[in-house]
Amino acid sequence: MAEQELAFTQEELDEIERIKAKFPTDKAATLRVLWVAQNKYGHVKPEVQNLVADTLEVPRSHVHGVASFYTQYYKEEMGKFVLDVCTCLSCQLCGGYEILHHLEDELGIKAGETTDDGLFSIQEVECLGACGYAPMLQVTNGVYANNLTKEKVDKLIENLRNGNLPEFESMVMRQNEKRKKAVS
Amino acid sequence: MPEVFIDNERYEFEGDQMALQFILDLGMEVPFFCYHPSMSIPANCRQCMVKAGQYIKDQETGEYELDDDGNRKIRWFPKMQTSCALKLSDGMVIQTQETSEEAERAQKDTLEFLLINHPLDCPICDQAGECPLQIQTYKYGPEGSRFEVKKVHKPKRVQLGPRVTLDAERCINCTRCVRFADEISGSKQLTIVSRGDKNYPMTAPSETFDDPYSLNTVDICPVGALTSTDFRFKARVWEMNQTPSIDITNGKGCNIDLWTRDNEVLRITPRHNSEVNDYWMPDEGRKAFEQFNNNRVSRPSVKLDGDNHSNTSWNNAIETFAEALEAHAPQELLLIGSPHASVEENYAFNKFFNLLGASTAKFIPHLISGYGDDFLITDDQAPNTNGCRLISLEETDSAGIKTAVAEAEVVIILADDLVGREALSADDLSAKYTVSLATNKTLTTRASDLVIPITCVAEHAASYVNVDGRIQRSFPAKETKYTNRRLNLEMSEGRLDRYGTNFDNWVKEEHKIDCLPAWEFLNHLADRLGLEFQYDHSRTIFAELSDQIESLRGVTYERMDDEQGVQLPIEQNEVTQA
Repeated sequence: MAEQELAFTQEELDEIERIKAKFPTDKAATLRVLWVAQNKYGHVKPEVQNLVADTLEVPRSHVHGVASFYTQYYKEEMGKFVLDVCTCLSCQLCGGYEILHHLEDELGIKAGETTDDGLFSIQEVECLGACGYAPMLQVTNGVYANNLTKEKVDKLIENLRNGNLPEFESMVMRQNEKRKKAVS
Repeated sequence: MPEVFIDNERYEFEGDQMALQFILDLGMEVPFFCYHPSMSIPANCRQCMVKAGQYIKDQETGEYELDDDGNRKIRWFPKMQTSCALKLSDGMVIQTQETSEEAERAQKDTLEFLLINHPLDCPICDQAGECPLQIQTYKYGPEGSRFEVKKVHKPKRVQLGPRVTLDAERCINCTRCVRFADEISGSKQLTIVSRGDKNYPMTAPSETFDDPYSLNTVDICPVGALTSTDFRFKARVWEMNQTPSIDITNGKGCNIDLWTRDNEVLRITPRHNSEVNDYWMPDEGRKAFEQFNNNRVSRPSVKLDGDNHSNTSWNNAIETFAEALEAHAPQELLLIGSPHASVEENYAFNKFFNLLGASTAKFIPHLISGYGDDFLITDDQAPNTNGCRLISLEETDSAGIKTAVAEAEVVIILADDLVGREALSADDLSAKYTVSLATNKTLTTRASDLVIPITCVAEHAASYVNVDGRIQRSFPAKETKYTNRRLNLEMSEGRLDRYGTNFDNWVKEEHKIDCLPAWEFLNHLADRLGLEFQYDHSRTIFAELSDQIESLRGVTYERMDDEQGVQLPIEQNEVTQA
């Protein structure tokens, strides 16, 4: 099994020790240590979940239960860029599905799939708390791309292909823009 | 003493008490699913809602404040409380669904939510008939569902482990199974995955639910989500007959129920006894239904040549046995009693041959050291090792028994697979005349010259003394060829037993084994040999025993029934040597 080959380096183990020290129980450190693992491997497939469980000495079933709850933990190998397109209420009303379907057409894959070149994955996700700038998507658990249009999406993909992640933007809701200018 | 008012009645209570358990102990009812008295209280099913509050006391005077009518004022808690997790306090007022429409409504609405994604497959569900969800819905649920769209679909027929099958759609996520694995058996193999509307219990992907206690989760599952792979689709519960008994697969003597249908034991479930097994039993004990039904010795048999046995009549068996006994001096007889047989069988067996002049029966404890855990699995593989010691059979080991066999001419073995468990070899017995009184076909019966079929624990009333010195007894659950449920008042009668006849499709004569209780067979043998030996019932044997043996004084079947077994004042004989 591949399971034996997986192991944390000494540096990572040191980091895990630091994380554990912050929590009253080792079980409570599960989320953070899953992140350490996902940053290392790019996913938390079952064997990685087991590695986390065995390192923390918590039941394997517990880590599996936690990992299966969060869409942010990738239970299978994903593309280099994971596009989490929000289709929850606000985004849906502002055209979230159009953005999603446009992306699917552009990349030739469906939500939940990864392109053959391993560059992109699309996920349909629930609210990411950016209703004011709908429709929106998130790139690999990181930056948000807001107020999307089809053109903006095309440009985003082109940039990503060239290895350029979008910049973080400080957003203000449209109705508050005037006030923001006045303040600044 | 602190007081609490439940449904307008005043009760006193002591110490820390949870409202739900207190109400249940009073014999009243509040519906619940996730609560279990032996496990932690997560209050996650939300079914046991009650309306609760507190009488208002004046801070200064310490007097209760009264309203205009002179009744005490109540400050209700802002929301419905889950009674399982509501700790009683002095002056608490609780209204259950019996007196509060709000509580009734809250329970009804919770049920409607629980039922949203629950499939309507009760007609094919094994749990139907003993399903808390079904029962509570009938009693407290809404008339119908307002949920008209498609239900969430989840995995069906998942082999969670070698013995447990999961139907995730039926699960209401009470987490009883998860808590059982965490808190009781300690294997921690289960968790709830995909939390949200698609949640269900699961093991980690690399693990399988092979917990030695896994089937207890099937018992405590309040719906049909966890089912026993062995028992799946075997019988409707209302067609079966439930008979209290004792687990005979190890030394703990877990209290169990045998579920029979047409004289076949179909499943075995634990019976609550806080002194022995609480609500639980090991999976191994449930497997015993196979040895009660299958591979039984039915009808006496004699060895012709080699390994060929031929069935014979009871008369011929008695005659053959008697001739063998008459042809040998009593010193040439070797009696081997059995920790696998009951106290009564061992006693009657030993006494019979003592009357003939043979020396006391020997027995060999059946231990596998390191096999047990600190819970319900013991090193002792037999249910009655202490019972053999109680009636002073001669304890020996494999070497001792081999020597004794070598010196004897006739070896008489009571219900013990000595060859199978390698205490003896078939070669040891080959030159001797060997008689086995046996329940099942084993290597030992194959090596025997005469095999007498006797009743097993599922067919007789008899007592067993467990590793801790507790004496407990069984009831007959299966009919033999010679017993009749309707005449034997000790046997219970299920619907099929009552209305089935020999001429219909669901009653089979083959399920009745052609066997006799050991003592009854010995009665017949005594008649033939002209011995003073007559026991009409195991009760008579036990009465004689309790007169003779100091530590059994005052112990009767009635006491065992009333007190769920009686702890005997005997030394705790260790369970080390093998």
